[in-house]
Amino acid sequence: MSASEILPLDLDALYRDSNVDASLEALERELIGLAPVKQRVREIAALLLVEKLRRSVGLQAEAPPLHMSFTGNPGTGKTTVAMRMASILHGLGYVRKGHLVAVTRDDLVGQYIGHTAPKTKEVLKRAMGGVLFIDEAYYLYRPENERDYGQEAIEILLQVMENQRDDLVVIFAGYQDRMERFFASNPGLASRVAHHVEFPDYGADELFAIAGLMLDRMQYVLSEPAAKALREYIALRKTRPNFANARSIRNALDRARLRQANRLFERRGGPLTPEMLSTIEGEDIRASRVFNGEEPHP
Amino acid sequence: MGSIKDGGAAQITDAKQRYKSGVLKYVQMGYWDADYQPKDTDVLALFRITPQEGVDAEEAAAAVAGESSTATWTVVWTDRLTACDLYRAKAYRVDPVPNTGPGTKTEQQYFAYIAYDLDLFEGGSIANLTASIIGNVFGFKAIKALRLEDMRIPVAYLKTFQGPATGVVVERERLDKFGRPLLGATTKPKLGLSGRNYGRVVYEGLKGGLDFMKDDENINSQPFMHWRDRFLYCMEAVNKAAAATGEVKGHYLNVTAGTMEEMYERAEFAKSLGSIIVMIDLVIGYTAIQSMARWARNNDMILHLHRAGNSTYSRQKNHGMNFRVICKWMRMAGVDHIHAGTVVGKLEGDPLMIRGFYDTLLDTHTPEQLEKGLFFEQDWASHNKVMPVASGGIHAGQMHQLLHYLGEDVVLQFGGGTIGHPMGIQAGAVANRVALEAMVLARNEGRDYLNEGPRILQDAARWCSPLKAALDTWGDVTFNYESTDTADYVPTATASA
Amino acid sequence: MMTNQGNRITQGQFSFLPDLTDAQITKQLEYALQNGWAVGIEYTDDPHPRNTYWEMHGNPMFDLKDPAGILTEINACRKTFPNHYVRVTAFDSTRGVESPRMSYLVNRPAREAGFNVVREERGGRSVGYTIHSYATDKPEGERN
Repeated sequence: MSASEILPLDLDALYRDSNVDASLEALERELIGLAPVKQRVREIAALLLVEKLRRSVGLQAEAPPLHMSFTGNPGTGKTTVAMRMASILHGLGYVRKGHLVAVTRDDLVGQYIGHTAPKTKEVLKRAMGGVLFIDEAYYLYRPENERDYGQEAIEILLQVMENQRDDLVVIFAGYQDRMERFFASNPGLASRVAHHVEFPDYGADELFAIAGLMLDRMQYVLSEPAAKALREYIALRKTRPNFANARSIRNALDRARLRQANRLFERRGGPLTPEMLSTIEGEDIRASRVFNGEEPHP
Repeated sequence: MGSIKDGGAAQITDAKQRYKSGVLKYVQMGYWDADYQPKDTDVLALFRITPQEGVDAEEAAAAVAGESSTATWTVVWTDRLTACDLYRAKAYRVDPVPNTGPGTKTEQQYFAYIAYDLDLFEGGSIANLTASIIGNVFGFKAIKALRLEDMRIPVAYLKTFQGPATGVVVERERLDKFGRPLLGATTKPKLGLSGRNYGRVVYEGLKGGLDFMKDDENINSQPFMHWRDRFLYCMEAVNKAAAATGEVKGHYLNVTAGTMEEMYERAEFAKSLGSIIVMIDLVIGYTAIQSMARWARNNDMILHLHRAGNSTYSRQKNHGMNFRVICKWMRMAGVDHIHAGTVVGKLEGDPLMIRGFYDTLLDTHTPEQLEKGLFFEQDWASHNKVMPVASGGIHAGQMHQLLHYLGEDVVLQFGGGTIGHPMGIQAGAVANRVALEAMVLARNEGRDYLNEGPRILQDAARWCSPLKAALDTWGDVTFNYESTDTADYVPTATASA
Repeated sequence: MMTNQGNRITQGQFSFLPDLTDAQITKQLEYALQNGWAVGIEYTDDPHPRNTYWEMHGNPMFDLKDPAGILTEINACRKTFPNHYVRVTAFDSTRGVESPRMSYLVNRPAREAGFNVVREERGGRSVGYTIHSYATDKPEGERN
């Protein structure tokens, strides 16, 4: 084929037909901030889009490697992004069904000899046509125990990742540092993971915006003192142990709702308006243990 | 019947007036109640009524309700010894039939809805049910014509019936055949073959790929072939064909005879030879059918019913009864197979009407669907499903249409289309089976098999010469006559078109 | 060798068609999955028509989205038992069915032994029939 030949290639049409834009928009809508992650996802989508076009004109024979790793602290949106990634891959025809199967070590590894292979295969069969999301993937590998069955799961996984590339995409997820060690000790796996996406912790402003989004969905509003208290809460909470980003915010709001309900109940008999029912006050937030230096809830 | 001609009457509630000797209108006697709310336990019936001149719709409907339940032509005081309000059937709704009456080619007809209390019927007896519903009333003078269109059988009453002896699910499990229509053929010529020659046809058809061969409705025990001979030769053919193919095979041995004793004897002999299926004709009567269904349940036998005689009362649109009612009764009575139309073959049948019959036989729960002629919602109370049989003038070239219209749970009977094959009976059977499997494969693959059907068959014919010969012989044969039994209501989706 | 049209047993939905390719099998599996049916794989060396219970190559597979995993298992079974009959069955759990909805062969022995009819002659010209599977003439374990 001559390179100068004009081919009727329409990248924009492919983009529209594949619904990738819808997935990217959904990502924008569902996740506050995370600009570097969104940028990275967009880059991967563009790459896959172009690769698809290249394949369609015979410039590339092999399916591109698609397995990925998502690293970052808990609550930074890895599962949500993985779901969007699955629909992007589906839209572009890299996976046939586009569903996400999220598992951890317990779903893959058995406790007795002979249990692991059927368990892992069962999960792989369920994930075929879609994306297998392995959370805290490094627990599969326990070098301290040489008879650990995790190794068996890794081997089966490797085989499928290599031989059935058209059938599923694997995303390994977990803390950055542990994942790095995991890949270092399993070079076979590492070499098959083509895309690395790092999920930074949310900034204080982003967490506050996330809280706003959550409250919107639950149909609550913050009073002005409550908003101020929440900002202070976020600043404090970020420095405490077991901070899990959006998940910690979600938990904090759930506890604030509990306190609001209790407050209204204690003062029952007085006048009550719909506004009062939906407003979280400063005291509902300030009663948190975080403010008096105690160990916070996760 | 002078009195019922004067319109505009109402139920007489004053007991003295109501039970005064003499003649009252049926409406006055209480057989019409527009406010009646049918109970879940009521038997409901829908009649198509053509009233005599001058009889209004409500009075005609009340008359049908009366004559099919407690009424006689005059008032009787003995009613007052009974809970007669309960036993009186109630006509509770009349609708003019679309496209009848002034300005149309048809006299004015009405659909009358009538409710019957459960206590009017004996449990487990089709004979008793029908003696009321179609007993006297069809000859009644106040109406010109009457047709029973549909019934709703309450769950409480259904539970007093056995239902199909085997049912579609268990039949398939016994045959080890899933996911495709079954194939059969009626041995031809209908009459005259000796037992030995007859069994030859059976063997060739089954070895070639059919699942079933079949006696015709009027093959019983005639001078040219007595029943024991037929049974012996047919079972030799069935077993030899089963060994030749590794499949379970069957021949519907028709046990229809003059007496129950004779039928039981024939059925027992069929069982002793290892037959999986026996056959009866509708003309043996409802009670005999129920007896044979009981025998079949007790002996792990599939019971095939040929609807011989049915068209004498089901074909005319204004009088008699719709075949869907027969389907309901036969499901209650307990048969496993019933001939229910082909859509594309030589015998009567509008596609939607036939689908209505098939739904009646196969659904666990049927919603009301006027366009299919199903006037009532019907819960089948876990009764087994009856396998519909499509027979009469169908051939391999119609396979896409047959699969589309009739679905998967059906026996397709290709009598002439098998035995008349230019390359022989086995080749005829092969052609049908290849056409069927190719079509099911294509359907499952998501292809538009109804439109691509001829192409799918031609593709298969390239490697299957018997199919090619079948398509060359019958490819263009169709039977395009207008149906007499069509829906009164068009599907809403196209109503505005 | 069997003497019928295709010289083979004709159980299952597609025995009169040329052997299904993996691509064709995948489409049939897809059909089953779209209908929400569980798919099981079974094998036997004795395809007697009354031999209902073939050996299961694992339990029927539930909750799958895609046929690839089932095809992997089919191929594993065919590889382990190249000279057995292997069939694929789809199970429907719907009320009123609760039974197989599909069944077709995906592997056969190179040579299909077939069956013979054993006739037990009785009084009155009556006959008792037994269908005998040639495959069972050898002891279990020595048949292939």
